[in-house]
Amino acid sequence: MESKRKIKTKASVLLLVSALFVGMLAGCGGSKNETAENNGTNSAATTAKDDNSPITMSFFSADPSPNWTGMKDEVGKIITEKTGVTLDAEFAVGDPQQKVALIASSGQYPDLISAKNDLNKLVDAGAMLDLTDLIDKYAPNIKKVLGDSIKRARYSDDDHAIYAIPTYAGVDQENFKVSGGFELQHRAVAEAGYPEIRTVQDYENVIKSYIEKHPTDENGNKNIGLTLNADDWYMYITVTNPAFYTTGSPDDGEYAIDVDTQKVTYHFKRPVEKEYFRWLNHMNDIGLLDPESFVQKYDQYKAKIATGRVIGLIDQDWAYGDAEKALKTAKKYDQGYGHYPVTLTKDYKETSFWPTGFMAGYGIGISKDCKDPVRAIKFLDYLASDEGQVLMNWGVEGKDYNVENGKRVIPQEVLDRKVNDATNFTKETGIGLYQTLGVHYGDGVKDSTGNYYTTNFPEQIVTEFNDVEKKTLAAYKVTSWRELFPKEDEFKVRPWGAAWNINIPGDSEIVVLDNKLKDITWKRIPEAILAKPADFDKVWDSYMKELDKAGVAKAETLREELVKQRVKLWNE
Amino acid sequence: MKAATVIPESTPDPREKPGKPTRSRKRFWRTFKNQKYLYFMSIPFVIWVFVFSYLPLWGWTMAFQKYKPARSFFEQEWVGFDHFKTLFHDDQFLLSLRNTLAMSSMGLIAGFIFPIMFAILLNEVRLGFFKRFAQTISYLPHFVSWVVAAGIVTKMLSTDNGLVNDLLMGLGVIHQPIQFMAQGHLFWGIVTLSDVWKETGWNAIIYLAAIAGIGPELYEAARVDGASRLRQMWHITLPGIRPTIIVLLIMSVGNLLNIGFEKQFLLGNNLVTDYSQVLDLYSLKYGLGMARYSFGTAINIFNSVISVALLFTINGIFKRTTKESLL
Repeated sequence: MESKRKIKTKASVLLLVSALFVGMLAGCGGSKNETAENNGTNSAATTAKDDNSPITMSFFSADPSPNWTGMKDEVGKIITEKTGVTLDAEFAVGDPQQKVALIASSGQYPDLISAKNDLNKLVDAGAMLDLTDLIDKYAPNIKKVLGDSIKRARYSDDDHAIYAIPTYAGVDQENFKVSGGFELQHRAVAEAGYPEIRTVQDYENVIKSYIEKHPTDENGNKNIGLTLNADDWYMYITVTNPAFYTTGSPDDGEYAIDVDTQKVTYHFKRPVEKEYFRWLNHMNDIGLLDPESFVQKYDQYKAKIATGRVIGLIDQDWAYGDAEKALKTAKKYDQGYGHYPVTLTKDYKETSFWPTGFMAGYGIGISKDCKDPVRAIKFLDYLASDEGQVLMNWGVEGKDYNVENGKRVIPQEVLDRKVNDATNFTKETGIGLYQTLGVHYGDGVKDSTGNYYTTNFPEQIVTEFNDVEKKTLAAYKVTSWRELFPKEDEFKVRPWGAAWNINIPGDSEIVVLDNKLKDITWKRIPEAILAKPADFDKVWDSYMKELDKAGVAKAETLREELVKQRVKLWNE
Repeated sequence: MKAATVIPESTPDPREKPGKPTRSRKRFWRTFKNQKYLYFMSIPFVIWVFVFSYLPLWGWTMAFQKYKPARSFFEQEWVGFDHFKTLFHDDQFLLSLRNTLAMSSMGLIAGFIFPIMFAILLNEVRLGFFKRFAQTISYLPHFVSWVVAAGIVTKMLSTDNGLVNDLLMGLGVIHQPIQFMAQGHLFWGIVTLSDVWKETGWNAIIYLAAIAGIGPELYEAARVDGASRLRQMWHITLPGIRPTIIVLLIMSVGNLLNIGFEKQFLLGNNLVTDYSQVLDLYSLKYGLGMARYSFGTAINIFNSVISVALLFTINGIFKRTTKESLL
């Protein structure tokens, strides 16, 4: 039945829809033209002979960089001036896995890619250039800085190509700064009379006595003993990794590897770790563990810390740093945190500083879509030059630092801002934004003028502590937190570096296995911690059974093969 | 309806037998000529549907290959139904399917009852200002993104000064704050309720519009016959919007498996994954996240097949029982 009225309405609806559609098309067309124009300027620039002519390169990083200003900061402007390169950067938000997988399958790759652990996806898709020859021809500085370690940048035992230049690890790095361990507010340790804090029991005592005396803050809100951050991958940082740090095994991702025999175990299967989680279970039982630990999101976690109500943390400072900065800005220095080398019992050494040798693996690579790989490698080479490294670390001479008697010195007012107004300082100066873009020397290495390349060296670190922090350190008779932790030479160097940064071939079974094990672990560990103490063993046993069923033995065997290949690749 | 004159033309001639294409083809071209502007105007739309809905179907071939981005179509390795086999043998998948169906059915029922009730009640409000005010307030949450909405929900249900716990404690209903977000069996309810809060007002708009289209003379006649307000709602308003209700219901049944994952992703946590993992999240994590493009595609195909089946089933049921249908 087609009535005239119906036809009329249909016609008008159609008309409307097509009008809308034409509008949409016009919109799309507009934006397309724009990008086309951009491309036009790019290619025009590329063809120009002058090496420093402006060029825009697209860049993707698997790490977030919230303070990125599009190279409009001081350091960025100088880099652009010297190399002509402006980066059009995109940073992963949340878990970069999916984003990298999308880039790999789209067939349109950014010019420069820093994919961290997901490099294998891009290599499998054939997206990355082999940089061996480019480095050899055009990058004298990269060659110089990396030296012999360049063989560690090779992709795998089967494929010796270099797909990423190692830009995350510093060459010859010495660690002066502690980022992890267990954290306690200065006011809590002060009130406990600065006791020795070596075991989980010591740590618990400080929190317990403080909470008993001060159950609420001045506004009547409850003080929180210990809070954890279980939002997505932060689960590793605050919940599962401490289990091996406190029980004498270093960070090899989800596996514990015997340094002599290279025997691989899924680290949760180690009996001592069960005891660590039993302690967390106990903390929950006595009400010192924040009941929201496994529910809250990362921003809620940070907001909580920023109120100053959280006495203890088990985290890395780069994860809770923003919140502590807020406390510092509010001049609540006694609510800031110190780092302590806590272990399960005194029989264990805290393993945060178990040496790995130079950690190649994570780094920046050039994609095959890059229009001008030579310019790209030269740009990266500039960042690796002495000039580039000093610029990235120290900033602009005469502004961010002065040279007095041949020594680089950071003026007091700059330092104040750097520590207490860090976000704005970073946005303006760009110091700290470019380190992971270029090959660089680590902390503790001096350049030809006898100055350190980085601003992390013992004398400098001490100047960055505030008075409360200094007081706490003095009470423990040390000048920095690092001295509380075991020295690197107390451990045997791991010949494979660290298992978490071994490249895994994309079609390996281990990818799926690992994810299954992770899903089980992330579900069962919170369950075990929140269980009634009497049920803990029962939950743990069923967790172990579930792991067996999911094929943990196979995952261990596969991982062991990879570790052995890595040892061969790096030490031949 | 003054369409009587048109009827003979468009009803097929009963004497005409199949197998005589010439006449019907001729008729088609005649209609085509008559309505050429209509056809012309629909061309962009057809292209649009083709490009965005049919062209991507080519990608389904991936599900039967061991797809690698570096290889061209002809170099891909074919594996038949291997990915589907893995899929159906995975406990996680079955769990996700259960969660998806549970949450979407709960959402379907709640998202069906509440907006209709709200629209009918709002329609009865005589005070114009209040009516507009209430309507605006009720659909505002629709424009809040799920990220923010999830933040509000978690904060309200928090044990650390959360509004709901404070209220219940203050009323003496409970003595210890309840960890709402940590209990798997509450998760489906929380998702459904937050969805109701967010979308009721918005979804009521279409029903309000349908109610506005009911002729006032029907209500007048009912009043003359002495029908009460409730009687009028039951016998006039509800039957009046029945076609709208059914069309919307059929469409949402077709989307049962495509409930998205924002709510579950943002409100969920490791303690409740057994209840919060939905198909979309599963395919994101185990498909794309691990660069298993083929596996992800297999999940998607399964999704589409089930959706189409559901759509036809429900459409058939309505066609039989109420004579109203979409297709």
